[in-house]
Amino acid sequence: MSFKARNCQLLPTRAEIVVVGAGVIGCAIARELTRYTPDVLVLDKENDVACGASKANNAEIHSGIGEDPGTLKQKLNVRGNRMYDEFVRGLGVEFKRQGLLIVITPRSAPPELLERMNEEDRRRFFTEVIPRGIVNFGKKAGITGLRILSREEVFEREPNVTREALAGVFDPNYGMVCPYKLTIALVEHAVLNGAKVFLNTEVNGFRVEGGRVRAVITNRGEVETSLVINAAGVFADEVADMAGAGGFRIHPRKGATLLFDRDVTSEYVRSSVAEFRLPGMKKTKSKGGGAMPTVEGNLQLGPTAVEVEDKYDTSISAEEIEEIFERFHYLLPDFPRDAVISAFSGIRAPTYEEDFVIEASDKVFGFVNVAGIQSPGLASAPAIVEMVMGIIKDLGWELEERKDFIPERPAPIKFSELSNEERHRLIMEDPRWGHVVCRCETVTEMEVVNAIHSIIPATDMDGVKRRTRTGMGRCQGSFCGHRVAAILARELGIPVTEVTKSGEGSPIYVGRTKDLLLQNDLRGERLVDEG
Amino acid sequence: MTKILRPDAVVIGAGPAGLGAALAAREAGLEEIFLLERDFELGGILPQCIHDGFGSIVFDQVLTGPEYAQRFIDKVERSGIEVFLDTMVLELRSDRSLVAVNSRDGVLRMEPGAVVLAMGCRERTRHQVLIPGYRPAGVICAGAAQRYINIEGLMPGRRVVILGSGDIGLIMARRFTLEGAEVEGVYEIMDHPGGLTRNLVQCLHDFDIPLHLSHTVTFIHGRKRVEAVTVAKVNENRKPIPGTERLVECDTLVLSVGLIPENELSKKAGVVLHPATGGPVVDELMETSVEGIFACGNVVCVFDLVDYVTFTAEVAGRGAAEFVQGRRRWRGEVPVRPGRNVRFVVPQRLRCLDREVELYFRVQRPERSVRVRVLVDGRVVHSRKARMVRPPEMVRASIPAGALNEGVREVVVEVTPDEKEA
Amino acid sequence: MRRKHDFICINCPLSCTVELFEENGEVQEVRGNECAVGEKYAVTEYLDPRRRVTTTVRVRGGVLPVVPVATSAPVPKRLVREVVRALAGVELQAPVEMGQVVMPDILGTGVDVVTTRPLPAKRD
Repeated sequence: MSFKARNCQLLPTRAEIVVVGAGVIGCAIARELTRYTPDVLVLDKENDVACGASKANNAEIHSGIGEDPGTLKQKLNVRGNRMYDEFVRGLGVEFKRQGLLIVITPRSAPPELLERMNEEDRRRFFTEVIPRGIVNFGKKAGITGLRILSREEVFEREPNVTREALAGVFDPNYGMVCPYKLTIALVEHAVLNGAKVFLNTEVNGFRVEGGRVRAVITNRGEVETSLVINAAGVFADEVADMAGAGGFRIHPRKGATLLFDRDVTSEYVRSSVAEFRLPGMKKTKSKGGGAMPTVEGNLQLGPTAVEVEDKYDTSISAEEIEEIFERFHYLLPDFPRDAVISAFSGIRAPTYEEDFVIEASDKVFGFVNVAGIQSPGLASAPAIVEMVMGIIKDLGWELEERKDFIPERPAPIKFSELSNEERHRLIMEDPRWGHVVCRCETVTEMEVVNAIHSIIPATDMDGVKRRTRTGMGRCQGSFCGHRVAAILARELGIPVTEVTKSGEGSPIYVGRTKDLLLQNDLRGERLVDEG
Repeated sequence: MTKILRPDAVVIGAGPAGLGAALAAREAGLEEIFLLERDFELGGILPQCIHDGFGSIVFDQVLTGPEYAQRFIDKVERSGIEVFLDTMVLELRSDRSLVAVNSRDGVLRMEPGAVVLAMGCRERTRHQVLIPGYRPAGVICAGAAQRYINIEGLMPGRRVVILGSGDIGLIMARRFTLEGAEVEGVYEIMDHPGGLTRNLVQCLHDFDIPLHLSHTVTFIHGRKRVEAVTVAKVNENRKPIPGTERLVECDTLVLSVGLIPENELSKKAGVVLHPATGGPVVDELMETSVEGIFACGNVVCVFDLVDYVTFTAEVAGRGAAEFVQGRRRWRGEVPVRPGRNVRFVVPQRLRCLDREVELYFRVQRPERSVRVRVLVDGRVVHSRKARMVRPPEMVRASIPAGALNEGVREVVVEVTPDEKEA
Repeated sequence: MRRKHDFICINCPLSCTVELFEENGEVQEVRGNECAVGEKYAVTEYLDPRRRVTTTVRVRGGVLPVVPVATSAPVPKRLVREVVRALAGVELQAPVEMGQVVMPDILGTGVDVVTTRPLPAKRD
């Protein structure tokens, strides 16, 4: 089906379950629902899935070690982490458990505390008391496998860590996954199993009758339903309010991350690395972030945590960049500053209580809020899904597993990961496999074409980039930008001047050359005529 | 998969460096030469450099970029050099074996007698200079803008701010203006312009485009497309001075903030790179640290003139031929060291010691009335007056034939005040 | 009335700021230049500044949508923008030869505008 045809498709008039928001949480829930019913509709106001918090976060699958005891966040994080291998099975998404090295340094405790100790006490405090405390904290939360490391073992594991390190704790549970590739895979898996996805579809309200949700009202029409899952991320409070099912507030927070050239930084850190601070010392709301290798092998530093007014604020300030440099200059003294290839900032959706809000509304029957999903939301996703399914059962939905559920979603072929024999075979089948479009990440024309014609089609430069990695390398699209734009234009059947970076209002080009000169000429002539 | 090809030499990249090297290798007697180019045509960056100013040394004539390229392309087409277009080299190993790919042949495996690296350079992006703000459409590197306008015939913007006064930035200021766009100004973080005076005069002054020295862009506004940038004056440490910020409305930010030699393949082959140039360490034949792998042009260090790229390409092409023909002899190992007011010198080492050697270097700071000298173990073998040396302009010097032998310990290149004048 | 005009000489890295004094269009004095080239440069820039103009013109049916062109000799500086404007509406048909005359005697300058590369036709 062509892009235009798909875009003009009519919204269904009825759906058993409507999921509002196509982020990782909405898509994970939708995928799970399709195990029981194909009649699931996912709505999102953006032109692609994973356009909010799922687009730009640290991609880390935390263990729960950074969460406060007794919170829903900690409980779901610990459980979600354990479920991850099963969660991603069959999705064709790369997931690795690189572990987290918690580094204990002289900065890990406040000076006031240290002043009262003699040298031997201080040594014991850093090398025994703190590490044991961390391990015990983990045990209480149900986190297993934590191991205390001596200073030497810290360097053995991570040679680039500061020589000031005194001891460490290794948490083998930490993992990495690409959050938007995961989201795309989940939603495609849901679609393969019958779900429908409507993008560019903004929810404007709900029809609620007799205390029950009856329909979702969108800019493209109304959909009757009796069950709504609100997974609208940073807008979840507004969506809940539209149904009268609210009562919580999301205050947006953004986090900036720096990404480094893979060729320079591959293996620079093997696991995630973070500096330990005693509770109460944290300056920001972020768990402090860390240094970590992405699934592709780039070094990543961050994130920061900055409260913002605007839910669309994904800018990065000079102060945030400084903060990251300062923080990691201490932890990794010689990290390769010059090899930064990208800096991005993503939006987070915390509530004022700083905990997840996952519950059936007590005001509107059939309305389930899955809100306040900030970090560790990605890590908690499998457990969040599990909890939501429990809530749905409690509401009285009978969930019977389908016999015809398709367990796997075929992953798109990545040319760069193939053997030369496989590459050759593909090129002989279709020459577009032999045309390398993006030189930094070795992405071929065929991969771009496949992304544009995939289940959730890429319709702009960023959509292609998220699916294929074009423009994600060290040249950041300087080389491939016009090539990708030309392929998008050809495949979508639009003039290249209508190709956008990220949807309406973000054109790559403003017109053809000479257009401005010819327009000015006309204007000039008219002036003369009128004069 | 296709059978392994074993040409005499493979040249990677068909810009001015690759074209020159392939032709020189051919003239030196190599039979089978493959020229691998990832674009759809020959010429590298030159076809998009439609302005003139090329070739004054090589041809004693001022040509446009396409004209300069065409002289070499015509020769290559008559030379019997085998050209592979739209062909990307994916792997290169230290034994010179390589894997390339294109739509016609599929995966190509080659084991050439010699390899010449001629991949050129790439532009630094906004993230490498870490400009805060949003990430909208409309932030582009000057070279990419040049490609869009001059090759693709597409306009990347109507109202443009340019950051960086390197030559490409200046040339694009004029190019945007001539195409009917408005260039609000060029902002340069240093207190002196980065480009040649000729370009300052003919690209900015001719069109009344202001150049703001000691200024930078401190924020990019616009969520979807650039809507404005904040500019600010910087102090002597190049940090923005609070209170000097100004909002400039524009739809495009063009960056001309530096070039980096493109050495991803070189690294795969284990070629040693030099920290100051960002390119391979080479000897007087432009041979890298890996035997039989040569390098030339901007992959070695960023040159200011294409003529110098051509000269190094000819050396590398002849060197590759000498190597394949078994004539290349190493007689020693002499380092070439940068002396007073010299940032780096290419080549960095000498091993054949049997010929005249042309040296290319950049100075650390501008200096008037100087003497450029080459010393072999303290003995001056080259001394030349220069009225002015500036960091953006490459300086040439030479070691005469016969000045080197096995016993030499080092060669030093230095720039000293010209005492006679001072 | 005697008037001063400043020029930056572009002929060597020294980049002398050359001051030219004239009265009623007649050059009287040149100073600030370190050599004779600077004086000649300033006088030419004052009396008859010229530039070689380079731009592109549209091409139909070519492997690329535009082809670069240049004036075969420098034209008066004041005409630079007009030369580009005059070429904006030109559209060539591929294949285009190198050195092909795009517009003879542009704006009555006696200078031709020619292509600076060949452009083959697109094969379908």
